[in-house]
Amino acid sequence: MNSLIVLRTLGMLLLCEAVAMLPPVVVALIYREDTVFAFLISMAVAVLIGLMLFSIRVKNKIIRYKEGFAIVTFGWLAVSILGALPFLFTGAITSFIDAFFETVSGFTTTGATVLEDIEVLPYSLLFWRSFTHWLGGMGILVLALALAPALGGGTFQILKAESPGPISTKLTPRVNNTAKILYVTYTVITAAEILLLYIGGMPLFDSFIHTFGTLGTGGFSLKNASIGAYGSVYFDTVITFFMIASGVNFSLYYIMFKKRNLSGFIKDSEFKTYLSIIAVAILLVTLNLNGKVYSSIFESMRHASFQVASIITTTGYTTTDFDIWPDLSRAVLFLLMFVGACAGSTGGAMKVIRVHLAFKYMKREVNRLIHPRAVKAVKVGNVPVQEEVLSGVMAFTMFYILIFITVTLLMAMQGHDLISSAAATAATLGNVGPGFGIVGPTSTYYALSGFSKALLSFCMILGRLEIYTVITLLSPHFWKR
Amino acid sequence: MRIVIVGAGKVGYQLVESLTKENHDLIVIDTNQDVIDKINDNFDVLTRKGNGISSSLLKGLEIEGWDLLIAVTDSDEANIVACITAKKVGVKTAIARVRNPEYVVELDFMKNKLGIDYIINPEHATANEIIRLLLNTHTCYAADFAKGHVRMSEIMIEASSNLAGKQIKDINLPGGVIITAITRNGEVIIPNGFDYVMRDDTLYIMGEKGAVDSVAKTAGLRLINNRVKNVLIIGGGKVGYYLAKGLERLDTNVKIIEKNLDRCRELAESLDNTLVLHGDGTDITLLKAENVEGMDAFLAVTGYDEENLLVSVLAKQLGAGKVIAKVSRSNYTSVLETIGIDNAVSPKLITASDILRIVRGGRIVSISLLIGGRAEVVEIMPQEGTPALNKPLKELKIPKSIIIGAILRNGKVIIPNGDSVIKSGDRVIVFTLDSHIEKVTKLFSKKGGGMGIHELINSVKNAGDAASM
Repeated sequence: MNSLIVLRTLGMLLLCEAVAMLPPVVVALIYREDTVFAFLISMAVAVLIGLMLFSIRVKNKIIRYKEGFAIVTFGWLAVSILGALPFLFTGAITSFIDAFFETVSGFTTTGATVLEDIEVLPYSLLFWRSFTHWLGGMGILVLALALAPALGGGTFQILKAESPGPISTKLTPRVNNTAKILYVTYTVITAAEILLLYIGGMPLFDSFIHTFGTLGTGGFSLKNASIGAYGSVYFDTVITFFMIASGVNFSLYYIMFKKRNLSGFIKDSEFKTYLSIIAVAILLVTLNLNGKVYSSIFESMRHASFQVASIITTTGYTTTDFDIWPDLSRAVLFLLMFVGACAGSTGGAMKVIRVHLAFKYMKREVNRLIHPRAVKAVKVGNVPVQEEVLSGVMAFTMFYILIFITVTLLMAMQGHDLISSAAATAATLGNVGPGFGIVGPTSTYYALSGFSKALLSFCMILGRLEIYTVITLLSPHFWKR
Repeated sequence: MRIVIVGAGKVGYQLVESLTKENHDLIVIDTNQDVIDKINDNFDVLTRKGNGISSSLLKGLEIEGWDLLIAVTDSDEANIVACITAKKVGVKTAIARVRNPEYVVELDFMKNKLGIDYIINPEHATANEIIRLLLNTHTCYAADFAKGHVRMSEIMIEASSNLAGKQIKDINLPGGVIITAITRNGEVIIPNGFDYVMRDDTLYIMGEKGAVDSVAKTAGLRLINNRVKNVLIIGGGKVGYYLAKGLERLDTNVKIIEKNLDRCRELAESLDNTLVLHGDGTDITLLKAENVEGMDAFLAVTGYDEENLLVSVLAKQLGAGKVIAKVSRSNYTSVLETIGIDNAVSPKLITASDILRIVRGGRIVSISLLIGGRAEVVEIMPQEGTPALNKPLKELKIPKSIIIGAILRNGKVIIPNGDSVIKSGDRVIVFTLDSHIEKVTKLFSKKGGGMGIHELINSVKNAGDAASM
């Protein structure tokens, strides 16, 4: 492996992170908070290490599969470790593993927190916490690609390793232009949500925080009761809409802007499946809640749609404690944690397209038993899917379930009940955030042991980078010459 | 520039490799998923699996207004149709590779009626290159620039050479000659005065024609008589046909050995003064019977690289004069120096450099790809207002791997030093490693460096001038 190019790219990434710490500094200055220095010291550390790595002279600039995987995995680890510094320096979180968990949860857009009371945090820290969602949502390396001049051949490997979904496509011939387009689209939608929330009467700072949480499908709030604290139908509706919108493949927005029509959405079968799953889930939960938890159908529908959107897009905002809902509703939400959002979105978990493909694959296998000589291609829309992609999807699904089972067992070994263990695993592996039981919407991950926090942090990164990117690094073959 | 390449075979791949280094936006279309994957793994370009002829595919890529489409699939017909479709979809310029000799006579029709701007014929270009090499006085590769005033020559250092083991500063080079590069065991070195010349090195020297020849002579190189009378060609494919056709015109006695009897008949029908022999080119008795040792030149141009190389070594041992082999895979170029063949020509590199000349347009008169495409010699007429003009060279901050080898001004060759100044109207001959081509383009063209149609016509005319010199 060409480890020099990996280190150099990591250096560039840390420099980008240092720049990303500027907005919280501005926030600290506006609110005259003494956290300024904590951020400045963190920035200095990032710049120092970043410059040291970036100044490495690299002869061979080619990035292949291996380098792509290594850059992305180590990049996410490095960014999370340095991103934890502001929490430690301000003293908001005292133990390193807690601060690391919080930052990983931020960058992977999970939204699981170890902070018992977030309302006492300084504004600048709240901002940084949510800003990590925004950065991690579209991908920190994609941002680096958009900002930095071309890194050399093979940067597509980085985009492939970081962006979610079984098939990565470029929108333009060059990776950095594609990255720019993605970020511009992302920023435009972000601005739209901030504006809508602000118009509806949410304080400007709160609008920023919740928009970052929504767009990155993260889920960090500045209220202990999350969105429920406002009790506003308008906010619920706006955030529900934008959560669903953030779960859609972002290249569809680019096609919409470019062609000035909705043909991209109408043709995309993943998008249609995604909407159908949401509709069915909302219907089921609404009927289940009506009369049992809420008296009016409107009230049931409001909470059902918010929670379904929040869980399937793996955001994790809450308007109410869904842990006290009837079992059918909780089961639906639990299953949605596995499905996740669309490929190419900011959402996590397995992705709709994989579920879609897995079902088509099963259908084909059944058909094969009936017509042993039939030759059939699995298609998405009208486009045939390559056999390698299909087997990749099947292996991914198995990996996902295997990791889920293993981590659940490890959690249960520490004495947690089955529901809590399974929910904590599914919620971190899928980058959702809140689960059930001891990690339910009203509680936090604070009480868990250091080992559990490290394990779940690993799950979050595994989930965000879609398993393969990380798992290949654990294989001994990767390190053989 | 925004360029679409249809077909990512040998030439297509070479083009992608060269063009991505120069900051063009590329879309590559091929029907083979494996090829697409290979391109994706190595280059930052957009790829599409599909048929480049399909108008819906081309329309879907929204390439209206793009600068160039290059069709280099293995089918002539597909290339022609892809170019026509692209022009209708709104691509400004189209280049097709067409190799069938029957279509070559239709060139005018294709250009004027079908609207294909350029037709590239690799076999024809390869045959021309071989004939050019034959007429050359050096046994090794040599190319002339600046209307024949400046020569770039390749010198292999044998053990007996008096240059072997010397430091470059101790070599007494005549004025106006510089050593631009040395290849040693397949590695390219840009030397300075303290580097040593070793045995088995290959030197690339550039300078005024006469001076280069005298250096070559002192280095122990034989200069052969450029009157080629008897030529034996192995392989009667397209290249062999064009070669025979071209050599016939030069009053040469040509013999072709071809395996396939039907092909022999076709050749016999279409060639006038060539002796067509049916047989195997590797058959040593046949070679001896046809007097291989008395041949001035031996050209191995079958479709198989390995066969060409082996039969060339054989012919060299039997005592043939100048031996040239056609080698398509540039992976072999690093071993060629060691096996004693005088020249190897690669249709892939020749085609790619022809296309690159069109792509770069501007004032580039000619390009030669050297050392398997890892270095280039470019002849440029700098445009008015480019950064390189009217400044002493030492102030231009030119990297070490770009060497301004010569300047031609008013018919006189100037070998520049740090204080020399390039003026408008000069022709500049630049040697560069492939990693710095973009920098060269920047130095010698105005911002944007786009390809106006007038400049294109000019550059083609100039190329014609250069060729006829």
